[in-house]
Amino acid sequence: MKDILWLIQNTLRITFRKKKNIIMYLCMPLVGIFISLLVYGGDQKTILHVGIVNQDQNKITTDTIQFLKGLENLEITKIDEGHVQRKISSGDLDSVITFEKGYSDSVLAGEPGHIQLTSIKGAAITAYVKSYLHQYIDNIATISYVAGGNREIFERMYQDFQHTEYNLVTHTLEDSSKNKFMTNQTIGFLIMIMLMSAGNMSEIILLEKENRTFFRLLSTPINARKYILSNIIVNMIVMTIQVFITLTIMKNVFHIGINMSFGSAVFVMLLFSLIAVGISLVIVSFSNSRSAAGALQNLIITPTVMLSGCFWPVEVMPKSLQKIANFLPQRWTLDTLTKLQDGNEFSGLYLNFMILFAFAAAFFLIAVYRFSRNNTTQNFV
Amino acid sequence: MNVLEITNLTKKFADFIAVDNMSLSVAEGEIFGFLGANGAGKSTTINMIAGLLRSNDGTISILGKNSAKQSRFAKMNIGMVPQDLAIYEDMTAYENVKFFAGLYGLRGAELNERVEEALEFVGLQDKHKSYPKSFSGGMKRRLNIACAIAHRPKLIIMDEPTVGIDPQSRNYILTSVRKLNEMGCTIIYTSHYMEEVEEICSRIAIIDHGKIIAEGTKEQLKSIITNTKDVWIEVKSIENANLESIKEINGVEAVFIDENLIKINSDTGVNNLNKIIEHFMSSGIEIRSLQEKAPNLETVFLTLTGRNLRDQ
Repeated sequence: MKDILWLIQNTLRITFRKKKNIIMYLCMPLVGIFISLLVYGGDQKTILHVGIVNQDQNKITTDTIQFLKGLENLEITKIDEGHVQRKISSGDLDSVITFEKGYSDSVLAGEPGHIQLTSIKGAAITAYVKSYLHQYIDNIATISYVAGGNREIFERMYQDFQHTEYNLVTHTLEDSSKNKFMTNQTIGFLIMIMLMSAGNMSEIILLEKENRTFFRLLSTPINARKYILSNIIVNMIVMTIQVFITLTIMKNVFHIGINMSFGSAVFVMLLFSLIAVGISLVIVSFSNSRSAAGALQNLIITPTVMLSGCFWPVEVMPKSLQKIANFLPQRWTLDTLTKLQDGNEFSGLYLNFMILFAFAAAFFLIAVYRFSRNNTTQNFV
Repeated sequence: MNVLEITNLTKKFADFIAVDNMSLSVAEGEIFGFLGANGAGKSTTINMIAGLLRSNDGTISILGKNSAKQSRFAKMNIGMVPQDLAIYEDMTAYENVKFFAGLYGLRGAELNERVEEALEFVGLQDKHKSYPKSFSGGMKRRLNIACAIAHRPKLIIMDEPTVGIDPQSRNYILTSVRKLNEMGCTIIYTSHYMEEVEEICSRIAIIDHGKIIAEGTKEQLKSIITNTKDVWIEVKSIENANLESIKEINGVEAVFIDENLIKINSDTGVNNLNKIIEHFMSSGIEIRSLQEKAPNLETVFLTLTGRNLRDQ
């Protein structure tokens, strides 16, 4: 075991000494998060820039402006009447509300008027402001109506209205579909990066053969099995780090809800990392040089990743392609994650886990068989 | 005591027999030369001794223990200096030696001490922080050796350790080989440079077609052809030379061509020099120089194998 640890330590040291490897193995998985943020827009809120022209210096007008300022998605700027056209046409403001002289009196009279809303961006912009503003003004107009023109009663009721405290319990309902898409997109990209990383790490075996250090290694007490095992462990370490970094940053930095427990997501992805190592070892076992392995890797990874729905939902593809995708481990990985997102119990997904294990086992067996057939000084494992 | 004992060793690649029922022993303290042309079975034998290849038949014992059954013990006692440089370009000289020495179980202060010792031995202590990519061919070869000796093996296998390097580095390596031997290491040395083998090896085996065809000290090997002499004739061009007709001259045992040099191995009891010269003159071949030489190891090799050591 000490020999294997020594090999692992050395491989990790050589690998992470190079900056390009740090970028490739540790930073690239995060690119998936940025892509999904770009595609699905994240949690951006639309802010409306509203200008206010106050020609009616009155308490009710001031309170109405104060109410508008309190709305979350509005940014209120007081402007002069003469600047309205310019600010609107230049796009500095989305709309302008003009409180004309007589606004307060019209509200007090129960017939609100003397208020203008100017915008060139259409109902999409004005509807939001209008709905809140109408509700507020209607409330005051109703108070005035109830007061029946008695100024004292109106003032009292108006004061009560302004200072009323509500016990309001709010529950935020998340748009889980968006998070699911973002999670799938990010994990799809992570799957591709993991496959590429595993391919690169396993290619170290071919590199060592080409550099002849492999021959020297086998002349020491290390044997080929120990060497391959150390390579697998290094591969798993790198991919575990990738999974943890991606999921942690996705969840804790970008606050993308993965809609399943962190542990479940890690488990599924680590299961996939076994498959990725298996595939990379099969590629290496069928290759005599790194260039051959690279070509084989491109030939296998890119199409299967696309077919299995790592970049777009598999449902958008023709049925025939969807059937092919069912034979790909990436598809089953994404399927398992989707089922977990849909609220399926972890224990209820044993069939998915067994299929993923079977994929990993099959790839490892093929690799072992190929390696055992290559027992010559030329091929050497 | 024999450090290495090979008994009836055979290795086949499909129908090709690379090593054919070979038996050999190397005693402690020897520098054992292993000579053979390309494809003679030399590298296959070395790879089997080093544990890189499995034999089809026969046994290899290292320090009295069967290497197939106790491979860890065998490998712990062997230091392999491969023909091709086997070092990591992106690790410093120190890290290279430390990594390989660590594979033999060395750790901590002992490991560091051995690494420094090995680098000092090959004269690279000042370059311990440098990367091999900045090294000359000779320095890389020396680092290649350092990686094989840091764990103080009893048996060091050196496969063509001086290929492609400058004379100064070659001398350094040859001196190092002698020093290692003086320190108690047994060495198996292969080289295409016959003069190196002749200079440093205490015993030599000549291998051809997977079999050892001669074995002994250089004096013993030379005595095999003691009744012959060498006549080296340098000619302007060998275009018109007819080797077969030279062989028909009385007393001529063998004829070899090395570029414009024709080497004729002849019986010392027959005075045939005039006839040889006449043959060349009648064939219109211009002789540039002529030397009569006592047989050396190269002649022995040529005579026994019919091939030059550098023949492909």
